[in-house]
Amino acid sequence: MDIVARGVYEIRLYRGLCKACGLCVAWCPQQVLQNDAEMYPVAAHADRCVNCKACERHCPDFAIEVVPPHPDSEIADVERLIHAR
Amino acid sequence: MKLQNSFILREYLRPQNLPTTWCPGCGLGAIMSAIVQAVHFRGVDRRDVAMVSGIGCTGRMSGYVDFNTLHTTHGRAPAFATGLKLARPEMTVLVVMGDGDSMSIGGNHLIHAMRRNIGLKAIVVNNAVYGLTGGQASPTTPVGGRTTTSEPGAFERPMSLETLARAAGAQFYARSSVAHVASLVKLIERSLATPGFSMVEVVSNCHVLYGRMNGLGDAAQMTHAMDASMRRTNPLLAKRAALPLRLDAGGVGHPAASVQDAAIHRDTRLERGVIFERAPVADLSARYRAPRYEREEQ
Repeated sequence: MDIVARGVYEIRLYRGLCKACGLCVAWCPQQVLQNDAEMYPVAAHADRCVNCKACERHCPDFAIEVVPPHPDSEIADVERLIHAR
Repeated sequence: MKLQNSFILREYLRPQNLPTTWCPGCGLGAIMSAIVQAVHFRGVDRRDVAMVSGIGCTGRMSGYVDFNTLHTTHGRAPAFATGLKLARPEMTVLVVMGDGDSMSIGGNHLIHAMRRNIGLKAIVVNNAVYGLTGGQASPTTPVGGRTTTSEPGAFERPMSLETLARAAGAQFYARSSVAHVASLVKLIERSLATPGFSMVEVVSNCHVLYGRMNGLGDAAQMTHAMDASMRRTNPLLAKRAALPLRLDAGGVGHPAASVQDAAIHRDTRLERGVIFERAPVADLSARYRAPRYEREEQ
């Protein structure tokens, strides 16, 4: 059985892609995310995250990412990718 | 197992075209992510994948993925894809269609693509409404569903893509929804492994047009409702649709007919998972090319 670690995952939110639809906040089983005043998500309780990636799966705009301490692949600089025209 | 979003963005999408033009919360983004992940986990090189799409919100998907893409005319995506598959049999050809695109405008092309059973991988996004053109009723609008062209609630029986696929001769048929994204990835993977015509129907949400007119809430509420059952009719509005039809009510010599009288009001719950899978049949794609090769030899 895998050990569920908490508080070691970094949650990255890409404002350039996010449309503030609220799906990640609604699907998070641990209430990690909260809406701010403009309805954009903020990782208010990142210490509760268990890396289930429900937010990543349900995000239609690829705007949220949970980064484990040792990711399988290199994490790309998303803001730079969006603006590279 | 889930690919990192930044990996998907870098390897499989065209990030310069993002953010997408879809409404906030539209399920098409999650479906695009699922398709890309299925292709990755299947181990197919993205240069050997072609995505053919028609017109509609779903048709825009081919602009965002970094496969070989073809954005074609309304409903004719299966026809273009058939030609592509015959010219390049080694290629994985994905056909992405919406419900109106595949079933009403391109219904004829879809039927004959299934009849020929050439290895196309169709992904039909079913959101019960024409989203791009302003929310008109589509062939899959459930009984009682309000749209801009069926204001009091649709009374026509929705079309069953599953029955059509079974009758027309598709080899694989599966259904999932945007609430079940992990199973969607697995089902698309299985459809990619099928040699013949395979189809994955994805029940999606159009909360902006269909959801607002039917009181189904925002994107989160609509996808959560799909999690419990894939019912997409507001029960109150379905009751209203059961009232006598406006055209018939009070007409001289025409008894008032209602949806319940016509016995077409039934549960709109859809089952999920692999619906049917047939044994592989002979691949006829070589037969389509055979006469030309004979002529070349002579």
